[in-house]
Amino acid sequence: MLTQFGQVLIFMIIAAGFVAVAFIAARLIGPKLPSKGKNSTYECGEDTEGDTWLKFNVRYYVIALIFIIFDVEIVFLFPWAVVFKEMGLIAFIEMAIFLIILILGFVYAYAKGDLHWDKPRPVIPALDRQIFKSEI
Amino acid sequence: MIYYTILFYVFAVLAVATAFYVVFAKNVIHSAFALFGTLFAVAGLFVLLNADFIAITQIMVYVGGILVLMIFGVMLTTKIADIDIHTKNLNRIPAILFSTGITVILIFILFTTKWNIKPQVQNQETVSQIGKLMLTTYLLPFEIASIVLLVALVGSAMYARKTK
Amino acid sequence: MEQTIISLKNFIPECVLIVTILVCLLADLIVRKKSAVVAVIGIAGLFVSGWFVIGQFGVKESVFFGMVVIDPYSVFFKLLFIVSTVFIILFSLASKEIKDSTHTNEHVYLMISLTLGANLMASSVNMLMMYLALETVSITSYVLAGYMKKSKRSSEAAMKYVIYGAASSGIMIYAMSLLYGYTGSMNIFEISSILSKMGGTNPMLVIVMVMILAGFGYKISSVPFHFWTPDVYEGAPIPVTGFLAVTSSAAGFAVLIRFFSVTFLKSTTMLNGSLQIIDGIRWTEIIIVLSVASMIIGNFVAVWQMSFKRLLAYSSIAQGGYIMLGLVVANQQGLTAIFVYLVAYMIMNLGAFYALIMISNKLNSDDINDMKGFAYRAPAVAVGMGIFMFALSGIPATVGFVGKFYLFSALIESNMIWLALVGMMNSVVSLFFYIKVLKYMFLSKPDEENSGKIYYGIAGYVLLFILVIPTLLLGIYFGPIVRFAEMSAVMFGLK
Repeated sequence: MLTQFGQVLIFMIIAAGFVAVAFIAARLIGPKLPSKGKNSTYECGEDTEGDTWLKFNVRYYVIALIFIIFDVEIVFLFPWAVVFKEMGLIAFIEMAIFLIILILGFVYAYAKGDLHWDKPRPVIPALDRQIFKSEI
Repeated sequence: MIYYTILFYVFAVLAVATAFYVVFAKNVIHSAFALFGTLFAVAGLFVLLNADFIAITQIMVYVGGILVLMIFGVMLTTKIADIDIHTKNLNRIPAILFSTGITVILIFILFTTKWNIKPQVQNQETVSQIGKLMLTTYLLPFEIASIVLLVALVGSAMYARKTK
Repeated sequence: MEQTIISLKNFIPECVLIVTILVCLLADLIVRKKSAVVAVIGIAGLFVSGWFVIGQFGVKESVFFGMVVIDPYSVFFKLLFIVSTVFIILFSLASKEIKDSTHTNEHVYLMISLTLGANLMASSVNMLMMYLALETVSITSYVLAGYMKKSKRSSEAAMKYVIYGAASSGIMIYAMSLLYGYTGSMNIFEISSILSKMGGTNPMLVIVMVMILAGFGYKISSVPFHFWTPDVYEGAPIPVTGFLAVTSSAAGFAVLIRFFSVTFLKSTTMLNGSLQIIDGIRWTEIIIVLSVASMIIGNFVAVWQMSFKRLLAYSSIAQGGYIMLGLVVANQQGLTAIFVYLVAYMIMNLGAFYALIMISNKLNSDDINDMKGFAYRAPAVAVGMGIFMFALSGIPATVGFVGKFYLFSALIESNMIWLALVGMMNSVVSLFFYIKVLKYMFLSKPDEENSGKIYYGIAGYVLLFILVIPTLLLGIYFGPIVRFAEMSAVMFGLK
């Protein structure tokens, strides 16, 4: 088992190495001729505006919260799935109780509209003047 | 075996160093990313303890879930870089004395106590063992965990919900 | 397999609670607005569960592979929690704060979840189960403390509660891991037998006890883990505050008493009704320190409080100190005294919080200054509050006196006269601030602009009356609660 994790570790070290080599190589052999235009942030050729940090909408947070609860639930499902064949019906019943309780939580979140993604409603500009209509 | 020892110290140092950075970084987002290192290094320590399932859980739940949630939380605030998140602490010296004292005591008992050390077991996967224990001996905690998760879900949804 | 089914037979009350939680949740989703229906379902479920709990009297069984036990001790606490939850749900129907909150009926099933967690705390004998039950109670109370989302104070209360709770339960679980590392077991009976073989003089065990007390002491808000109490009590809605003061702290006592009584035993056979603690493990002395500190700080700081909720917070810190006195003697008599006191504590605290709900519903404030002359405006409520205040301070002919009497006599019979003296002196101090409230209510004239009479619905008076009766009646005729406490003071595995 440890050797399998060792492979993961080696994989990660190699991945990190690739990034490090690319950065160091660029630093060492790349030409450096900075100018004002080059140093500015690229934003489709326009001058940049505002802060880089965006303020996220709170909707993402709700979804992430609910995600975590079910993430933890998935963790419980793994060992259950491994022994399911061996243990049979009793394992099924026990997991069913666990899941029913959690699915009710999901039903709660759904019914209360927490998973509803309110899209911003674009305001379509309305014409106040009736000039064009009357002219037609 | 020496490699494992080296690896253990690498992960341990990584965990402690990144944890220090989490506490002392000025920028919240840097703290959040340093926490990634801490959680990851702890997962490495679990692997070295032959606790493969816990290690994967650590990565899945903490790195994949909670850390992402934290970064979302940080992103919700309007200003990140400019504000100083370190509030003034009036009791800095007592706090330092207290926590150093606790650390010294804990290290002392760590070395003086005769721990109940189990003999090294053969490397084997733990998932099916955990599965069996979870459905027999630890059935009650397992089922109660679902109630805890339900309450947490209801509570967090209640708080985060937009009120009309 | 078979054991699971046998366990389930002894686990019906908790199963009923779980089903009640789920049914209430579904009912809340179907009703979709604030309605008493969900509360009625919840109370019905609690009654059914309580009925099954009564049926468990006399059973002594370890169920779910040594995770929890059913014994008279846990049955007593379960009944206490269920009764207080029924009252708290009724209070929440009356409370304006809950009515004005933006949520629909979540508080009902959150409260029942807290009761479930508290029941498990009272019956668990495994450190893992203890921790999980404690977390169930904690997480639910964090949610309930911040129930009024629009109120800044309520959110602040929830935030402070979460931070304190996370820190103290982290410390506790670290200590549990140390204890597991030393003994290799999580079952407290096994730990006790292993520790009794190893002998006691070990600095590690002292640290472990102190750190575990950080977790349990936070639940019972004992000094020095009490800092959250005033702020959370002040910010949370009053029914929730009452719930934290009664159920949550009684659950803390349930798990604390069982853990300390069982884990450090030399032998599970009691000698003349007193616990035989391993030589060199002096947990009773740690408890003495915490108890005296809680009484003194709770009572003396309460004197300066002008917010009624903060006053009750410090009062409950002090009451926690009294209850710990019963643990110090470490015998059957002390446990009986604790049980008598807990029954008294439940009745008078529920009463005080209900009277406060009635007052603050009309005044929109819990400041004692605003209650000037309240006795002229709503005499019945003021008299009720007066009775509860006298009971809390332990005046004779109230239930509070019976509790204190049994505690102090248990101390005196174990030759701890100086502790009994400290307790009595504290009671005298506490009289001062309980009476201060009454002085504002009865002796000052109300302000000119708000001196109109205040009227309540008939249901409000009935509920108040239901709480006043046992406060006075059990103060004179206390035989039944004492017998009940004596029967309940039996723990699984102790002979």
